[in-house]
Amino acid sequence: MSMAGTFLHRTLGLMAAAGIGLLSLSGSAAAQEQDCAVPASIYDTEPPLPRTAAALASGQPVSIVTIGGASTLGGAAGSADRAWPARLAVALTRRFPAAPVTVDNRAVASQSAQDMAARLTREVIAVKPTLVIWETGTTDAVRGTELDEFRQTLQAGIDRLRASGAEVVLMDAQFSRRTHAVINFDRYESVLREVTDANEVPLFRRHDMMRHWAERGLFDLITVDRDQLPLVASRLYDCLGRAMADFITRKAHPGTGTPPASPGSHP
Amino acid sequence: MSSSGGSAASERDLRLDFFRGLALFSIFIDHVDSNSLLAQFTLQAVGFSDAAEVFILISGYTAGMVYGRAIARQGLLLAGMRIYHRVWQLYVAHVFLFMQFMATTAYLVDSFNNAIYAEEFRAADFLKEPGLAVIKALTLQFQPEFMDILPLYIVLLAGLPFVLVGFRRWPTGVLAASLGLWLAVQLHPSLALAAYPGPDAVWFFNPFAWQALFCLGAWCGWRGITGGMPWLTNRWLGWLAAAGALAGFLIRFSWTLHWLYDPFPELFGTALWPLLSKTNLSALRFANVLVLALLVTRLLPAQAAFLAGRVARPFSLCGRHSLHIFCLGILLATIGHLVINEYLGGALLQGLVSAAGIALMIGTAAVMDWFNAGQRPSGPPVLKAPVATRGG
Repeated sequence: MSMAGTFLHRTLGLMAAAGIGLLSLSGSAAAQEQDCAVPASIYDTEPPLPRTAAALASGQPVSIVTIGGASTLGGAAGSADRAWPARLAVALTRRFPAAPVTVDNRAVASQSAQDMAARLTREVIAVKPTLVIWETGTTDAVRGTELDEFRQTLQAGIDRLRASGAEVVLMDAQFSRRTHAVINFDRYESVLREVTDANEVPLFRRHDMMRHWAERGLFDLITVDRDQLPLVASRLYDCLGRAMADFITRKAHPGTGTPPASPGSHP
Repeated sequence: MSSSGGSAASERDLRLDFFRGLALFSIFIDHVDSNSLLAQFTLQAVGFSDAAEVFILISGYTAGMVYGRAIARQGLLLAGMRIYHRVWQLYVAHVFLFMQFMATTAYLVDSFNNAIYAEEFRAADFLKEPGLAVIKALTLQFQPEFMDILPLYIVLLAGLPFVLVGFRRWPTGVLAASLGLWLAVQLHPSLALAAYPGPDAVWFFNPFAWQALFCLGAWCGWRGITGGMPWLTNRWLGWLAAAGALAGFLIRFSWTLHWLYDPFPELFGTALWPLLSKTNLSALRFANVLVLALLVTRLLPAQAAFLAGRVARPFSLCGRHSLHIFCLGILLATIGHLVINEYLGGALLQGLVSAAGIALMIGTAAVMDWFNAGQRPSGPPVLKAPVATRGG
């Protein structure tokens, strides 16, 4: 009797919660942009990017080059202007109308860190970028690149980019609920964290962000039917682009976006 | 390594099963999620080495002891057959794990192809050419997630008969050659075995490097039954081991603290990287597991009451059935991984999954123990010795 009562209570509670969730979802969908805020703890211990932030704040030209794989290329969203680098450019221009921002997307699908590093001199450093965002690790995990080699490639790449005068941000793999069961991303994620930590390079923790959005039910990345895919992808990339804008401009906006000092809240 | 007669049972080194069990639990927890909070407190937290080193060292030691004794009693031919019988069992276990991997992949393949990240997995050759993946798994070249330690163990054990024959003739020479090969890998990391699918993929555990740990273990096990190792009790060696283990622990612990609380500084973070390759069993990992082993042999007697007690029992139980429990652990880790991600679980679910997995591992080991004990008296007494086929 009491068990049935508890069950009823729970079911009602769940239904109510789902209802509120639905209401708030449709509410945010009504607004142009999806509410995909990221908890400050995902950013909190990352070192800043002083030159990029200063250039943005003072209205000087900012040249950003992105290098990465398929998810940076943005094919899933259907067109290049829906990829996250393009969304980043839109978000930055909106926030800093005075600063002419260019984002040059140099992603190529299915490249290992080594393949990308081989393109750095000609395609990235030659442009003399203010900031380079390097998304990497997925193909290496899929292909099983040797870990020390992966680490050395990252280190050498960071050294070369910094020597050229650019600031550097690294970005990790996407979160996916199922691929982790058959491909070992953890090892590559650990290397990314170690290398960025040791070099004081900001790591844009896309994996944790996407997981956070998945927890909140923002993106169901598995059961997307093919017709819905470009829409979901472009919403996701828009969120990523705006999150990246938040990430690199924290210091450009003193006061806003500065996370509270909550020590070490790595999940 | 199961009891081959009364005298062997009484001199049985209880530490082997205990630490093998500890390594099995560590491997399981690390596999569920190597970046989880719980995984910061497994064997990898003690120093630069982790459960893999412990597992291979103990396996080498046990194999050297058991098969060294078998060669003395049964002759090289029969002992060699026993080793290859064991290799066959390991191979079958590897194929079983691969079936499990392919089943998981087949179950998940739709979510690979339909999802946003589908394009990123175009590089996953094994999805495009499953037939080739099967062949490459049978030849031990395809070592997807968690399927890397059994291939290493298979090739190490397959080489053991030659090593043991070598020990009888030129023990120092064989050991020196083994360490020389390890050194060659340290100087030329390109000395590796090719793997599938990547163009530059290599075996995660480089057998040319890891053989040194296995051979050294086998040599100790073999020395243990032939002449003993009086130098083990050397006082200075003991102090050296203690100092090495303490230094390793303190440095490693600073990394854990840094991981938990970023402002805490890492001791020698990047400076030690070149010496920490797991693939090539770099110097620090190798040295660390050796000093830990030395310290354990000094501080914990082989028949310590603790090892026969209640607390140690779950560890020893699993350690006694290491191959089966290892395979079960891999299976459970894959399922656990799926469950945690499917329900987007945090630390709580991670803890629950880990606890449930370990309970299943202990329960299975207990059932196997009970089953084996029930079978023993009914078997013909003549077959007493060959029952002991579990060389690590």
